[in-house]
Amino acid sequence: MGIWDTITDLVEAAAPWSTAEAEAPAEEPKEETSEDSKEEPEEEEAEEEDDEEEIEDPKEKLEEECKNSKQCAPAKHHFDECVERVTNASDDEEGKEDCVEEFFHLAHCASQCAAPKLWSVLK
Amino acid sequence: MLARSGLRSTRILNGARNGATAFTKRSISSNSRASTESPMKLNVTVAASTALAIGSVAWYYHLYGSTAHAMTPAEEGLHPTAYPWVHQQWLKTFDHQTLRRGFQVYREVCAACHSLSRVPYRTLVGTILTVDEAKELAEENEYDTEPNDEGEIEKRPGKLSDYIPAPYKNDEAARAANNGALPPDLSLIVKGRHGGCDYIFSLLTGYPEEPPAGAQVGAGLNFNPYFPGTGIAMARVLYDGLVEYEDETPASASQMAKDVTEFLNWAAEPEMDDRKRMGVKVLTVTAVLFALSVWVKRYKWATLKSRKIVYDPPKGASNNVRS
Repeated sequence: MGIWDTITDLVEAAAPWSTAEAEAPAEEPKEETSEDSKEEPEEEEAEEEDDEEEIEDPKEKLEEECKNSKQCAPAKHHFDECVERVTNASDDEEGKEDCVEEFFHLAHCASQCAAPKLWSVLK
Repeated sequence: MLARSGLRSTRILNGARNGATAFTKRSISSNSRASTESPMKLNVTVAASTALAIGSVAWYYHLYGSTAHAMTPAEEGLHPTAYPWVHQQWLKTFDHQTLRRGFQVYREVCAACHSLSRVPYRTLVGTILTVDEAKELAEENEYDTEPNDEGEIEKRPGKLSDYIPAPYKNDEAARAANNGALPPDLSLIVKGRHGGCDYIFSLLTGYPEEPPAGAQVGAGLNFNPYFPGTGIAMARVLYDGLVEYEDETPASASQMAKDVTEFLNWAAEPEMDDRKRMGVKVLTVTAVLFALSVWVKRYKWATLKSRKIVYDPPKGASNNVRS
C-alpha cells in the first residue's frame, strides 16, 4: 500500500482536476443548515402546511393519463369489462372470478408508459 | 534419367485418371437415364418426409411444449416496470443529494418499523452526512458500555463506530408489534429482492386506491399488486408531503419513494461508486498497456519486417534443370 499511496499522491498532484474531500468543504454548509434549522422551523411550518396541499404526485397523474391513452386502451377495455362482469356476478352470489390479472395488465401498461416521463419529472 | 522416368510415370497416371473420369461420366449418364423415369415419385418422397418432420415437431410441442404454471399471476405478483435509474448506468455514481433525502425519508418514515442493522454511522460520513452531523446523530442514541470496575454495564451516547439502532429488540418483538408480520431489515433489501430498485419503488408507490373487483384481501393485509400474493401487511406509508426536504424538493410520494430506494441501494452496495471507478481504472490501464505492447511489437519486429529475402540461384544449376 505504501508504494501505491505515494504513486496516487504524485498522480493527484500532477492531475489537473482536484479530488473531493469528505470533511473540510462539507463543514461549511453544515453550519449554515444547522443555523437555519434552529431559526426557521416555526416560520416554515406555517408556510409549508399550505404547500402540502399543493403537492401532486406526478406518478399518479402520469399513470392516469397513460391508462386513458391509446396504448393501454385494450388493457383498460378488458379491465373495465371484467369489473362490470364481476360486480354483476357477485349479485348472483357466484363471484369467484377476480380482476387481478386484468388489473395487472393495465397497471403494467400504465407504469411502463409513465416510467420515462416520471423520471424526467422527478429529481 | 530419373527426371525422365518421373515424367513418364505421371503420364501413365494421367491416363489412368482420364480413364477413371470417363467411367464416372458414363455411370452418371446411366443413372440419370434411370431417374428420368419417376420424377413424381422423388418429389412425393421429399414432400412427405418434410411434412413428417414438421408434423412430428409440431406434435411434440403440442404434447410437451407449453410449460405448466403452478401459480396464478396474483400469486406471482406483478413484475415491476424497469425504471431508468441513473445510478445503474455503467459510468454513473449515486446522486448524493438523493441519498441525503433518502436517508431523511428512512429516518422519518421507515425507521419506525424497519431496522438498518448493517449500516454504521461511520459509513454515512462523506457520502450522506458530514462528520459533525453523523456524530450528532449517533449521540442521539444510547449504547451499552464495556463492563465497568464493578462489572456493571452502563449506557453511553453513540459513536461513529456504532450501528444504527433497530426499532425493536428482536424479531419476536417486531412481530408482536406488527400483527405477526416481521418488517424485514432494509440493509440488503435491494439485493435481496427480485427486481431490486424497481421492485422497491413499485411496491412503495403501487398501492391502488382500492383493490380490483373480486380480489380477496386477507384480514389485516393490504392489496399491493407488486407483492407476491398481493396481500402485504405493510400499509401504504408514503403520502404526498409527508416529509419536508431541507433542499425544498417537492416531497411527492413518488419522489420520496425514489429517494429512499436509491438510499437503500446505497445501503446494500455502498462500494458501487468505488467499484465503477475501479472499472474505469482497469480499462484505462489496459488501454495504456495495449498501446505500449503495440509500440514494443513494432520495435521488436522492425528488423524482421524491414528485411528483404532474395533468392539468387547459381547460374550453372538453372541450365541443368531446364534440359
